[in-house]
Amino acid sequence: MDEASSVARVKNTSTVRVSGALADRDGERLVEEVSGIISEGKKDVSVDLSGVEHIDSRGGAWLALASLAAQKEGGRVSLEGARGEVAEFIEMIRPVFEERARPAPPRKGVFETIGGKALDAWGELTDACGLIVDAIYWSFIAPVRGRGLRWKAVTDEVNEMGYQAIGIVCLINFLLGLVIAMLSATQLRRFGVEIYVASLVVIGFARELAVVMTGIVVSARTGAAITAELATMTVSEEIDALKGMGLNVAKFLVAPKFLAILVVMPILTILGFIMGVVGGFVLGVVFLDFTFELWWEHTIWAVTVGDVTQGLVKSFVFAMIIVIVGCHNGLRVVGGARGVGLATTRAVVMDIFFIIVADMVFATIFYFIT
Amino acid sequence: MTGAEPIIEVRDLVAGYGERVVLDGISFDVYPGEILVVLGGSGCGKTTLLHHMVGLLKPLSGTIRYWGRDIGRMDEDELATLLHRVGISFQGGALFNSMTVGENVGLPMREYGNMDEEMVEILVRMKLSLVGLANSGYLMPSELSGGMKKRVGFARAIAMDPEIMFFDEPSAGLDPILAAGLDELILDIRRLLGVTMVVVTHELESIRAVADRALMLDGGKIIFMGKVGEAEQSSNSRVRQFFDRRPDAAIGEQV
Repeated sequence: MDEASSVARVKNTSTVRVSGALADRDGERLVEEVSGIISEGKKDVSVDLSGVEHIDSRGGAWLALASLAAQKEGGRVSLEGARGEVAEFIEMIRPVFEERARPAPPRKGVFETIGGKALDAWGELTDACGLIVDAIYWSFIAPVRGRGLRWKAVTDEVNEMGYQAIGIVCLINFLLGLVIAMLSATQLRRFGVEIYVASLVVIGFARELAVVMTGIVVSARTGAAITAELATMTVSEEIDALKGMGLNVAKFLVAPKFLAILVVMPILTILGFIMGVVGGFVLGVVFLDFTFELWWEHTIWAVTVGDVTQGLVKSFVFAMIIVIVGCHNGLRVVGGARGVGLATTRAVVMDIFFIIVADMVFATIFYFIT
Repeated sequence: MTGAEPIIEVRDLVAGYGERVVLDGISFDVYPGEILVVLGGSGCGKTTLLHHMVGLLKPLSGTIRYWGRDIGRMDEDELATLLHRVGISFQGGALFNSMTVGENVGLPMREYGNMDEEMVEILVRMKLSLVGLANSGYLMPSELSGGMKKRVGFARAIAMDPEIMFFDEPSAGLDPILAAGLDELILDIRRLLGVTMVVVTHELESIRAVADRALMLDGGKIIFMGKVGEAEQSSNSRVRQFFDRRPDAAIGEQV
């Protein structure tokens, strides 16, 4: 076959002659021959390509590997005699024959790293604060001053965030009510005061469980959706388009979501509260054989307006956390599809974290003032 | 070109989305070593044709044969094996944003090539050198300009040394200097690597620079096929309108 290649060292010189198309088998041979010459102490090796008619990228890669192997040992390979297309191809891939000149990644000291992180955190905090101020302004102050609000967007969001979420919020709170009632009934049975399960469930749900469970469901549903929506808009330059039209992002996107969630969260929390108590009722009346009146009496007797208010106050705060965290993460996304995924994950994790932290702060405050 | 067996044969291809027929029974051949330019106005089905030719979409009827084999009858594995011999350069580059430029170009080699890591790195650098971006391997796609993204897209398309390449709007949206550079790159790749190319474009300058033959689509039919020079003398008013860059209203006045 005339296409067959050969690699041979010209006797007693430091020249390797290549002819034909350079196949993989001969490529390895070429690297060996070149390394062999270098190990004899000769620094300059020439590769004679005058017999090569055609070269493909694998062949080029073998030449480059031979050249790099020589450079590693302090030697040099010069390619000679290449003609026509072969010469042109080698010229185009010239950078491959030189040691990779990769810029060293900038090294950072400990303090620089800490300082950088602190600055990042500070930047994020001020961004988030700016977003809160904007959201409040465009939700409450601007509409009053006649600067408008997108009512259609608000009602759409209420439907999406609230109406569509009723089923899952009710189901989860109902099941949790049942679980809490069962859990406490087994403990209180030892003292013969299972009737207090009614009080326990109603207080627990009024103050704590309904709002936290609803907050977590809403952050997983709505918080993730907000971040994904805004992040996709950011990476596909839609946010830039809005700004370019002179439209305010806070007014256009954040305010409708902010208002909608402030309407929706308390309502969902109340629904969740009712369903949790219903869960307790099912256990008490169906399984523990208490009468409906007795259970109802103990439920009403235990709960105060203060307990319910506590839950509602928290629901407003959690609502703000979800929208601000969602919008903030969506708007600062970098990178493409993967960036959107990371931002969404980060948003949901932050939502749940801040909800629990805020809940703890409230618990501490109420503990000391009551 | 005559006498050679065609690499790709498209016969009576009917394509569309749902009820809407975009391509209405078109037939043509692609011969080895040529650059065939598919041209036509926006929305005439150029990209649809391209997507059918690489098996991304299934035709409503008609056949597409590569080296005599109908891709409509291939199973997924056979089609994948065939596509190893095909390189596609997408309109916006279609780079994976989460990977560096080098990883983007090296992806098909690492997935299919069973090569040494050293070899892959050299080849990645070589493909990037061919498109003039030898030292950009460590950059992320978000750090590149539009023209650079396209060139990295080229580099990824030639990663597996394809025998056939498809280009979707290679020079659209670039300044004339960059566009000319990309046209030259297409010609260089063809000459040095001996690749057959199908280029979809509506840039007149590009068409004149690279085309061996041109195929013009309009209203789902082929309204011209032949050398670009002939197209400019064509008797079809629609073809001449395209090459003279006259808006639609002008045709009305003429009639």
